[in-house]
Amino acid sequence: MSLPQSLRTSITPPELEFIASQQLIEIIPLIAMEKTAFISGAFGPLQPPRRAKIPLWIAINLKLKKKCHIVAPEWLSVEFLQSRLDEELSEPGYSRLPFRYAEVSKVLLDVASDDIQNTDKIRSLLKDLREARQAKSREGLEELNRSELSLSNLSSMEINEIRPFFVHAMGILTHLHRDASTED
Amino acid sequence: MDNDYFSIDAILAENQKVQCKFKQRIPEMGHLGGGSERDITPLNKRQIPIWLAYIIIYSDWADFDIPRPFSNKVRNALRAEPRSVRLSNLVGAGTGWLGDEQGVEMSEMLVTTFKGRLVDVIDQAQHFAALGPVGGGGGGGIDSAPQMFREGLDTTERELFVLAQESAWRMKKWYEESSGGTKRVS
Repeated sequence: MSLPQSLRTSITPPELEFIASQQLIEIIPLIAMEKTAFISGAFGPLQPPRRAKIPLWIAINLKLKKKCHIVAPEWLSVEFLQSRLDEELSEPGYSRLPFRYAEVSKVLLDVASDDIQNTDKIRSLLKDLREARQAKSREGLEELNRSELSLSNLSSMEINEIRPFFVHAMGILTHLHRDASTED
Repeated sequence: MDNDYFSIDAILAENQKVQCKFKQRIPEMGHLGGGSERDITPLNKRQIPIWLAYIIIYSDWADFDIPRPFSNKVRNALRAEPRSVRLSNLVGAGTGWLGDEQGVEMSEMLVTTFKGRLVDVIDQAQHFAALGPVGGGGGGGIDSAPQMFREGLDTTERELFVLAQESAWRMKKWYEESSGGTKRVS
């Protein structure tokens, strides 16, 4: 393989951000644009002040050129994240969050912080969520068995973070255990 | 062990030497021990690599002593507190092993040890992610207990450590860089 060793085990976070940027998001355009064909599909037309749904990467691009306002998705609000955080802290499993919440939230907070209310509170809530879920992963590490591992409701960034470690550890456990099963 | 014919780890593990006490006289094999004798006399102790010892013991030409990593003393220490044992000095290239009645107990003990140390490995790796990618560490102000644990890591544990450290470092770097700043505004 021509990939360097460090990249063979997992995807990089910027790549995940790139993939997440294909999700649709709602904007309030400030300029008009006709229905335009892109490789992934045709989007538009943009007719201010009507809202439109376009992929996140176009939204970011327009926002940086100050040509639109981004409408925050409903899960990126203090009430939603707070309720999820409480659920996270009280229940043993992981709470349900949008699969790519980490990437989308980081991008939106960086680019469109003026379109979102309470960005500081949201940032701290997201950080707490991430740490709570990481603590749960650590506890789950002790129940690691060699054949399967199912952790529901993990987000894509979290899966990517723990995948190389967990897979390698499970391989080692298989290797150690095989000696026992070959004895009769 | 038959499946590991091509595995480098298994080859290295099987190359480790184990103390054997020969029971019979074997002519003209004195060179195995590196000594100057022509024959191996009974009750003679030699160090034999595991792949050779396997057949010798199976054919009942010698008895072997369990090598130091798997002695009872170490086993009890591991059972008490997996993290406090410095494995790096004891286990050379791996933990592949022969099978006999002790094999099952041995592998269960290995599994428990491994899982017990695993959480610590990942904790330390995440802590070290803050110091930069592979090669960071060794700064002043780190207290001695984690450092001793790190020095006592087995080879396979070191690989896991590096994996976890790298992924934690990548995440940290990504969170700190801004998505909006790198794009050009026209």
